[in-house]
Amino acid sequence: MLQKPRGRGRPSGQSEREKDWGRGGDCRAARGGVAEEAPSTSRGVGGSSQGARRAEASPAVGPRSQQQLELKVAELVQFLLIKDQKKIPIKRSDILKHVIGDYRDIFPNLLKLAAERLEYVFGYKLVELEPKSNSYILINSLEPVEEDAELRGDQGTPTTGLLMIVLGLIFMKGNTIKETEVWDFLRRLGVFPAKKHLIFGDPKKLITEDFVRQRYLEYRPIPHTDPVDYEFQWGPRTNLETSKMKVLKFVAKVHKQDPKDWPAQYCEALADEEARARPQTVGAAPSVGTAEGRRGKGTG
Amino acid sequence: MQGGTRRVGTMTDVHRRFLQLLMTHGVLEEGDVKRLQKHCYKVHDCNAPVEKLEDFINNINSVLESLYIEIKKGVTEDDGRPIYALVNLATTPISKMASDFAENELDLFRKALELIIDSETGFASSTNILNLVDQLKGKKMRKKEAEHVLQKFVQNKWLIEKEGDFTLHSRAILEMEQYIRETHPEAMKICNICHSLLIQGQSCDTCGIRMHLPCVAKYFQASSEPRCPNCNDYWPHEIPEVFDPEKHREAAISRPSKKPSRSRQH
Ligand SMILES: [Zn+2]
Ligand SMILES: [Zn+2]
Repeated sequence: MLQKPRGRGRPSGQSEREKDWGRGGDCRAARGGVAEEAPSTSRGVGGSSQGARRAEASPAVGPRSQQQLELKVAELVQFLLIKDQKKIPIKRSDILKHVIGDYRDIFPNLLKLAAERLEYVFGYKLVELEPKSNSYILINSLEPVEEDAELRGDQGTPTTGLLMIVLGLIFMKGNTIKETEVWDFLRRLGVFPAKKHLIFGDPKKLITEDFVRQRYLEYRPIPHTDPVDYEFQWGPRTNLETSKMKVLKFVAKVHKQDPKDWPAQYCEALADEEARARPQTVGAAPSVGTAEGRRGKGTG
Repeated sequence: MQGGTRRVGTMTDVHRRFLQLLMTHGVLEEGDVKRLQKHCYKVHDCNAPVEKLEDFINNINSVLESLYIEIKKGVTEDDGRPIYALVNLATTPISKMASDFAENELDLFRKALELIIDSETGFASSTNILNLVDQLKGKKMRKKEAEHVLQKFVQNKWLIEKEGDFTLHSRAILEMEQYIRETHPEAMKICNICHSLLIQGQSCDTCGIRMHLPCVAKYFQASSEPRCPNCNDYWPHEIPEVFDPEKHREAAISRPSKKPSRSRQH
């Protein structure tokens, strides 16, 4: 079992060599000068000593076997899964540099196939963070259930709780909120910007750096303030991973009230739901996958 | 192995949730894997009978094969508890760790790994590991920081610490066997019984062959006078007991419940 990747990665099997896997000859034709501009660093982020095995997988210019392409998709899937663990959007340039190498000419195809596998096998949807942003994130297609958190046994949940509080605060205050207001609110919950918190660690860093880098929050200085104050809005990942209605329901649950007790927010959330339901809406998740990728997704 | 010889299974949301949760853990003991499987059935499909774990995992593995990923079953080197880990075969294990660790930290791991593999016992002392901090690639690391990084490796289940000495976690052994075979072909040790990578175990004083403790336990289970399978000389070590899941379960119940370890930051 373990020996397989090496054997399969090599362009040795002449019999199956000619099965082209990118769309016909078109993409090959485009290859010409691309190869030399990006030396294949397929070995990924790992460093030097372990490069040997993977170097074999990068072919010289020439026809690529089905196996080589399959391996490339596998590397891409693994790269995306690993990178997503940090919840930081994955840049297209990093994918090209660390995984794609001299397969650049068929990158869109490879990405599409990886997206299909990710959705069918793992239930993760690969989406572009914002149109033309050239960075990608994975969205879980499976609804979270409460026991997951227990079984998960990681730190995902407590920080998610804090994130939901901040997201709720932003939404309830009309989609933009000053940083000072956030801390005023959190102080009442025993979370202080400058004090290490038992669960959240450094709350200031978590909210103004980590959640921002993960693109859950937008954080920017308010013009003409002295000393400068900052404001928060929802980041693009938030719109993809959750919705106004879900956040409103969270807020309502915390207050032991009904979402309809906030009519303005409820209407806004409802309108948002309707907009989401419409296909091809601007701002809806621009899925890289295709309809095919959703094939196996029924409930089991 | 490819193509028609093996039927590729079908994935449902039960399998997908199972994979997602297994991935966040990295490694799980068999009891926890069964609990996880039951949970996933409950969430998605209350009526279906829970498939036998082995078949359930074989089904998933048949789909994972084309992605060069595998749910591997192994046993802990000390007491033979069965464990499961999701292993990447197309990416080197070190690059899998790279999302959690900086370059100098990864190099510290490589150095520790080398010491562990080269050692007679399968353990490297923290003193010996920390003495290498000046040789690390990347940003300079102080000994105090290095101690902290070693603890992080323990938390993330790459290393185990026993009284100031470090050895590989079974998860690391599952994930890294191939990598170690390629990078340390001379230094690595092989078990005479199961022929896989051996970090800690027993060895014959006469001919030097080595065996995993769980393999020793099974091999000598019925013999009153244990002899080396290679040179037939008297086996000079205490024979450990074969792992018994029933006994283990009782012990687990009487033991105060352990807090789940926090492995990965989200
Ligand atoms: Zn063995
Ligand atoms: Zn012997």
